[in-house]
Amino acid sequence: MSLAGKLLTGILCLLLCSPLKVSGWDWQTRVTVVVKDQPLKAVCEILEKEYGIHFSYSRELVDLSRKVTVTAYQQRLKSLLEQLFAPEDIRFTRVGDQLVLQQVKRSTRTISGYVQDAVSGEKLPGATIYAPTLKQGTTTNQYGFFSLTTVKDTNSLIVSYVGYEPALLPVEGQANRILLVPLQPLASLQEVVVSATDKTKLQDQTQMSRVHLPLAVVQSMPKLLGEADVMRTLQSMPGVGGGMDGAGGLHVRGGSPDQNLILMDGTPVFNFSHFFGVYSLLNAEVVKSADLYKGAFPARFGGRLSSVVDISLKDGDMRHYHGDVAIGMISAKFNVEGPIIKDKTSFIVSARRSYPDLLYNATLRTDGDFGRGGALLAYFYDVNAKINHIFSAKDRIYLSLYKGEDNLRIKSVPDTALPDAAGRVTESSRFQLGWGNTIGGLRWNHIYSTRLFSNVSLNYSQYAFRTEYNFKSKMPATGQASDLYGKYFSRMKNLGLKVDFDFRPSPNHSFRFGTAVTAHYFKPGLMDMSDKGAIPVVPLDTGKNGLDIRGTEMLLYLEDDWRLTENLYANLGVHTSGFLVEGRFYHSLQPRVGLRYMLPRNWAVKASYTHMNQYIHLLSSAGTSLPTDVWVPSTQRVAPMYSRQVAAGIAKTSMNNAFEFTLEGYYKTMYNMIEYSNNNTAITENLERWDENVVIGKGWSYGGEAMIKKQKGSTTGWIGYTLAWSTRQFPDINRGRIFPYKYDHRHDVEIVLTQRIGKRWEASASWHYTTGAPLTLPVSSYQGVGTPSPWDPGNGGDVALDRYDGRYNYRAADVHRLDVGITYSKQKKRWRKSWNLSVYNVYNQKNPFLYYMKRDEEEKQRYLSKVTVMPILPSITYSIKF
Amino acid sequence: MRSFFVYGILLMTLLSACEERVNIQLKYEGDKIVVNSLLQPDSVAYIRITRSVPANVYDESGFAEIRDAQVTLLQNGIAMSAVQQQTIKGRTYFVSKEKISNGNEYTINASAPGLTPVTAKDTLPPAPEISGAAAQRSSTRVVFTLKDRPGARDYYKVRVFTCGPGDRPDTMRNFRLDPAFNNNLIDVITNAHYASLIMDDARFDGKTVNFVLETEYPINATRMMVEVSELTCGGYKYFRTSDAQIGNGGVLITEPATVYTNVVNGYGIVAGINAKRIVFTTE
Repeated sequence: MSLAGKLLTGILCLLLCSPLKVSGWDWQTRVTVVVKDQPLKAVCEILEKEYGIHFSYSRELVDLSRKVTVTAYQQRLKSLLEQLFAPEDIRFTRVGDQLVLQQVKRSTRTISGYVQDAVSGEKLPGATIYAPTLKQGTTTNQYGFFSLTTVKDTNSLIVSYVGYEPALLPVEGQANRILLVPLQPLASLQEVVVSATDKTKLQDQTQMSRVHLPLAVVQSMPKLLGEADVMRTLQSMPGVGGGMDGAGGLHVRGGSPDQNLILMDGTPVFNFSHFFGVYSLLNAEVVKSADLYKGAFPARFGGRLSSVVDISLKDGDMRHYHGDVAIGMISAKFNVEGPIIKDKTSFIVSARRSYPDLLYNATLRTDGDFGRGGALLAYFYDVNAKINHIFSAKDRIYLSLYKGEDNLRIKSVPDTALPDAAGRVTESSRFQLGWGNTIGGLRWNHIYSTRLFSNVSLNYSQYAFRTEYNFKSKMPATGQASDLYGKYFSRMKNLGLKVDFDFRPSPNHSFRFGTAVTAHYFKPGLMDMSDKGAIPVVPLDTGKNGLDIRGTEMLLYLEDDWRLTENLYANLGVHTSGFLVEGRFYHSLQPRVGLRYMLPRNWAVKASYTHMNQYIHLLSSAGTSLPTDVWVPSTQRVAPMYSRQVAAGIAKTSMNNAFEFTLEGYYKTMYNMIEYSNNNTAITENLERWDENVVIGKGWSYGGEAMIKKQKGSTTGWIGYTLAWSTRQFPDINRGRIFPYKYDHRHDVEIVLTQRIGKRWEASASWHYTTGAPLTLPVSSYQGVGTPSPWDPGNGGDVALDRYDGRYNYRAADVHRLDVGITYSKQKKRWRKSWNLSVYNVYNQKNPFLYYMKRDEEEKQRYLSKVTVMPILPSITYSIKF
Repeated sequence: MRSFFVYGILLMTLLSACEERVNIQLKYEGDKIVVNSLLQPDSVAYIRITRSVPANVYDESGFAEIRDAQVTLLQNGIAMSAVQQQTIKGRTYFVSKEKISNGNEYTINASAPGLTPVTAKDTLPPAPEISGAAAQRSSTRVVFTLKDRPGARDYYKVRVFTCGPGDRPDTMRNFRLDPAFNNNLIDVITNAHYASLIMDDARFDGKTVNFVLETEYPINATRMMVEVSELTCGGYKYFRTSDAQIGNGGVLITEPATVYTNVVNGYGIVAGINAKRIVFTTE
């Protein structure tokens, strides 16, 4: 080779090789990088240092702060870079020896619509929409609406809901449209099984301290006298207790029953029970789902301290007519739903009535106890009606009505005219006692865009209690005649307008905001008597014993479900409210914070802080909930109640969704709680001065709750354990010392199991154990006095009185009970029948209902006696679904 | 109204309930001195001193009298003459020599060997102004007029008796306020009549009120007596709470009614009372 040739060859080689010499890397270069939880920038620095790869980017435009964990051994450079930068939408290009990073701006895609039952068109609240590859998802709101904005390419979403087959939703070309996603219900028997399939995993929800209860769970529980019941099912969850032997309302995390906000399709309910708290006021068949919040209250809820029970009722089948009829030991009920205009308008009507009084009445008529014109009626009933109309893909309205009452009516018209011991001849007597709720709601859902949903609702809720008595008699000896009529009446009403918005602007933010104004009307404790006899008696004193007060409550809220980083999520909110009553204005600013941090192996650690305010108080006899209890607004002396609660816990759903596990601890303080002072319940019932007869104090509740739930397979159920303390302190009660709350139970265990046996059988069992409630027993007995002088006429007061020293010096016996049930279902051509046999308290445990100091005249002894009211109670229910 | 429901639930409960004795050892606060005395103007003071017992003691004679108690009565803080023990109708009383009079505060101190000394005090209320008592034989209505003091908190206790020879009241009659007056529906519904009525003047302060009482059984006596006693606040609380506890029957479904006491370190009541009685002939 000539010199020139050698030179040329050398130059060519130099030219060809020079880039390799300068950069020393290409896309195929094998690199090794191992970092744990370091920012992307740190990875870039390693590549630069170890392999001479220089990165060029603008710090303002390209964010390399995301923390990553990389384990790459001899991985191709390009593949590693794709893995690192693709999730952040960072584009990389080689320019000379530099890697230039650019932030890619893509148009976002918003998928929105409704998830509904494929057969009935019923909207499904709480359904999950999830992009598994991107680990992004959302859930439908209480109207079944969802909106998922994603900046990622994705082909399809998985949509799922408890009791339904999950569906794959192709989203290509579906952006910016309002979709209807139908989900197919599972096979008939499974419909009543806790057969959850895919749903939002606990670790994917920032919300903690919440229990979601679909209809299927309520129906699978063993029944009490043939009634499936929402409240009883909620009582079997950790952190939730009942009153005396399960009756008497909900006690959530040491709170009293008046501290529960119970919403029926968004309308607050004053008294959520029939039959002194034994049954819920709702027929379980019309309940679509219920969410119980024990803490970590989202900002959209307010007005009560301890819990929110958000119940969604069925909307009615848009396509087919169907219903069910059932008869149990206590009540008979029916439920009919169907389209008025197919796929446009639907209705649902359900009614329930207890019927044992009809049987008694027949017997009493036979016996003639009340005379020929007499009667006895003692029953509860409830009626639900709802109409749902779709105006357009963007507008729909719901009109719902509820009426439920407990009634006792006794009418007596004696057949004979014999005078009684007082010489009176009764001509007729009539007694009526009743209480109940009337609830109405008109709601309008409107979709402004795929990202903005609104609900405007007008709510009316009324609770009324009344007693009427009419007694017509004459006294032949004197010609005296009497026609006494009297009534006692209490009524509390709410009329509210609420506007809620649901705005999902980006994958990292989900906003809810809204406002509401509620007019409260309190008219409790009015009594009126008159005698319309031959000589009408004009009441000498009709001094008002009741109240007549109006108040206005208003609120504003804003909350954001915010993805802060890949592992850290927050639900930040603020709820502000005011209450105007009798010229006074109370207000409060209530911050709400929820945090979730994702740990390895899909464990989520959660924490929350909530502040709640309550402007209305329930005047109730200590420890018991009675229909006569009245709601009153805060006064100059009794300020609104408020609470602060912190909670922390961990949660996980297993990979195959079969098991859910939660462990939570909480600490709650409650202020401005009221209680009748020791003596005053007996001294006065003057409602006008109620606030002078109560003492104001504080309460503390703290404890832990653990729950493991199996939700897949033929065996489902849960085991829950609660360790809790709940205490109160009032200046004039228990000498100002802290004492336990009436329903302070240290340990509580719940085991609920459901077993599917073949296609037609399903068995269920629940076992409940709780430690005894506090009890106040006398510490001595002494003699009383009645008259100033032993020479005075009448009883000298030779009575025995008991001395009580403070509150709760004993504990009642522990309570435990096993309930079982078995259901047989068979599908016929046009209908399905089922029999349910349930046994309440299978081993006949004598759980205490009440205690009293008994004076046993036969044994000549005085001792503590325990009364049990719920022995073993078998029941049978027959139902037909068509 | 509330208590009506509690009793209603109890009734339903007891009809369907089973019951068993709970064998536990009840706590006992220890023996205490019990002082009971209702001080009536223009009358000597009758002071009864007994000893408390554990709550499971059945025998009422268990309220042992403390006969060796040291009892002193003070008027406006100055000791009065020593009280004398007297046995009246089989019971021991400590009786003052001087009469009690209006406008004074009275204190009773009592001590006994082995027991913590106790003390209690109260004032005396004015006499109630009542008039116009009347009743018709064979009827069930008794009427009288009460003139209430304006602006003052008054507490009353009403009782009705039929009188025997020498106008001595011999039988206490159960009654209730005329329902139309009382606005008390529960009394009517339950057809309840009581031996006495304890009330305050919250609903008729300063008014002259015609009371119409309805007796449980027709009136058959020729002479009757209406007794209206004005109470002090302490006496009123004692009567209301003791009535509530006795009426409740020891049931612990709600918080038990704690009987008011103003005896420091002991139990019982020392309260002023001022009774006025009208004896009249039935028509």
